[in-house]
Amino acid sequence: MENSSEPITVLLVDDEVEFATTLAKVLRRRGLEVQVANSSREALRLVSKENFQVVLLDVKMPEKDGLTLFKEVREISPHTSVILMTGHISPEQERSGRSVGAFAYLLKPYPIPDLVELIQKAARRVSVGGHSEKNHERGGT
Amino acid sequence: MRKAQENHYSSMFRFLVVRIMLVSLGPLAAIGGANFLLFYHLNKSLVLEQHANFLRYHKTSVESFLQGLVAEVLSVANNYTLEELVSGGLERMYRMVQERGGLFEDLGIIDSMGNHVQYLGPYDLARKNYRETEWFRKVVEEGVYVSDMFLGFRGVPHFVIAVRRTVGDDFWILRATVNTDYFAKVLDAARLGTTGESFIVNERGLYQVPPRSAGMPLEDSNFPYLDFHPGIKVSEVTMGEKVFLCSSVWISRPKWLLVFKQESEDVFSPLWKASLLGVLLFLVGGLGSVILSVGAAREQVKRVYKADREKEALTQRLLLAGRTAAVGEMSAGLAHEINNPLATIDTLQTLIRDLASTSPISEEDRQEIMDSAAKIGQQVARCKVITQGLLKFSRMVDAPPEEVDLSQLLEELVTITKTRAKVENVALHLEMENLPKIWACAAHLQQIFANLINNALDAVAGREKPLVRVKARRQDDKVIVSVEDNGCGIPPQDIPRIFTPFFTTKPPGKGTGLGLAICHGLVQNMGGEIRVESAVGLGTRFTVLIPIQDARAQNGAKGLEGRNHTSPERVSPGRPVHGELQ
Repeated sequence: MENSSEPITVLLVDDEVEFATTLAKVLRRRGLEVQVANSSREALRLVSKENFQVVLLDVKMPEKDGLTLFKEVREISPHTSVILMTGHISPEQERSGRSVGAFAYLLKPYPIPDLVELIQKAARRVSVGGHSEKNHERGGT
Repeated sequence: MRKAQENHYSSMFRFLVVRIMLVSLGPLAAIGGANFLLFYHLNKSLVLEQHANFLRYHKTSVESFLQGLVAEVLSVANNYTLEELVSGGLERMYRMVQERGGLFEDLGIIDSMGNHVQYLGPYDLARKNYRETEWFRKVVEEGVYVSDMFLGFRGVPHFVIAVRRTVGDDFWILRATVNTDYFAKVLDAARLGTTGESFIVNERGLYQVPPRSAGMPLEDSNFPYLDFHPGIKVSEVTMGEKVFLCSSVWISRPKWLLVFKQESEDVFSPLWKASLLGVLLFLVGGLGSVILSVGAAREQVKRVYKADREKEALTQRLLLAGRTAAVGEMSAGLAHEINNPLATIDTLQTLIRDLASTSPISEEDRQEIMDSAAKIGQQVARCKVITQGLLKFSRMVDAPPEEVDLSQLLEELVTITKTRAKVENVALHLEMENLPKIWACAAHLQQIFANLINNALDAVAGREKPLVRVKARRQDDKVIVSVEDNGCGIPPQDIPRIFTPFFTTKPPGKGTGLGLAICHGLVQNMGGEIRVESAVGLGTRFTVLIPIQDARAQNGAKGLEGRNHTSPERVSPGRPVHGELQ
């Protein structure tokens, strides 16, 4: 599963504590280095402190709109790939998510193996540096 | 409920029948009544006039008859000397009279001493002396005299015509007794109707000629109007058990009262017959009008009934459509709320697989597997609560009215809606003062407020610090529930149309345009009122006023029906099953 010697660093942001901790466990078992934030503030603190290759971000956060948080994350760390997640997705939301430059927009529940694959792709894109339209497109589907 | 509806239609039917009958029968009765009165009075006066006229002619004939008799006696007395009469003249004349039908019963010549000079007739009166009799004195005084009816020496009622002939210092008298039968026949010749007849009384009210139906000459007639009156007097007189219409007139010589009487019933019978016919025609007309009214009212009620049924069916369809729409509007929140636990479950099952795939399984991993399985159970329970809430929401479409705890209902509703509010980061507040229980359909209340709250959530989408506030309080005999938002507001030109079905400002596929129309219909159904205040850019407030109907009174009136309609499988509201959703 591990394609590179260095483990991929992932920040998982979700206010659903159970979901976040379990997903973190599962991802760690698959060789990823995962940290969890249950609030936007925690997420911003971690992003500004460490350099994550991929951020998994729940769009619906209690105190802050997910998209706003996304922009802030990109500002702090422009080279981080962000994968947005949501429990409910409308066409407009998906469009707006893509237009702001998210790597992918996922509808929960998303199969774990696919998610791992997607994270790896997102991390690779970071390693070559720059945008990959193809991945961007694929991620949305 | 059905009974109440039937009552509603039958009272509508009665109201219409009465209305239509009043409209049709009122003028008919007024015109008919007026016509009847006019007709009655006109004809009554005609009948009375006819009665009087009849007597007028009759009087003329009776008077001329009597005058004719007097003239005859006078001409004999004046044209013949006593000697001529005694020596066969009177006898010739008597024979002639008898041949002509016996106009005079007897003839006699009386000298100035009162003794019969000659007597021709059936009675033995030749030797009688009349000096002391009434008629003798009168004829000596007046020259010509017509007597009242009297018995005289013969002991039989009769009247006489006497004429005095003066010769030098002396005089003699020619006296003729009128054949009363003959006179009665003359009088009786005039008849009218079946009971019309004439009679003659003297000044003291004694029959001179009695009516043919009753009475004897010289009997008291009991006729009350004996005072002298000029012309014809018409009066109603009760004789025996019957009422008679009597016209009376005084004749000059002798001073007799000629009366023509007819039973009132007989007089007015043509009038009454005509009146009866009129009344009958009116009744027939009335009956026709009643039949038409009933028919028209029945037709009208049938139409109203049909329209009501159509409206009911339409309302039912609208309700269902609206409910579906409301569920659709809630689906964003619900999907989020269900997908989150599903995602957790999916992750947990992946973890379990991962842990279980190693061999042998460490005690630590086994414990982790057990924990994860338990967590899956928790997440499943969380989903169950949501789906049960949804089911409950869509099941109670046609629930009957019941006692509703509005506070509880609103709390539950806000709890459900909070899932969506949370997703959209909208602050949803519920403020309630102590609310009484109200008598209403819980499902309808739910639908009304779910609609208003969903609308409010839509309105605040994309606003800064979005806020939806639900307030409920009691005022007098009403409960006032307001749902206000700080959303985009409604443009003033749209306000009049917001309750119109299918009016929507949402993009296609987003809103049905039924929500507020249904709210409006439902609120009206429960006798309430819905108001809207809005300012563009500031927000909107919908206020629903619901009358508090006394549940006990309602139970009394509709309790039985209510119980019959409530089927046990219906979900009763009020179980706080949504509590964990927040």
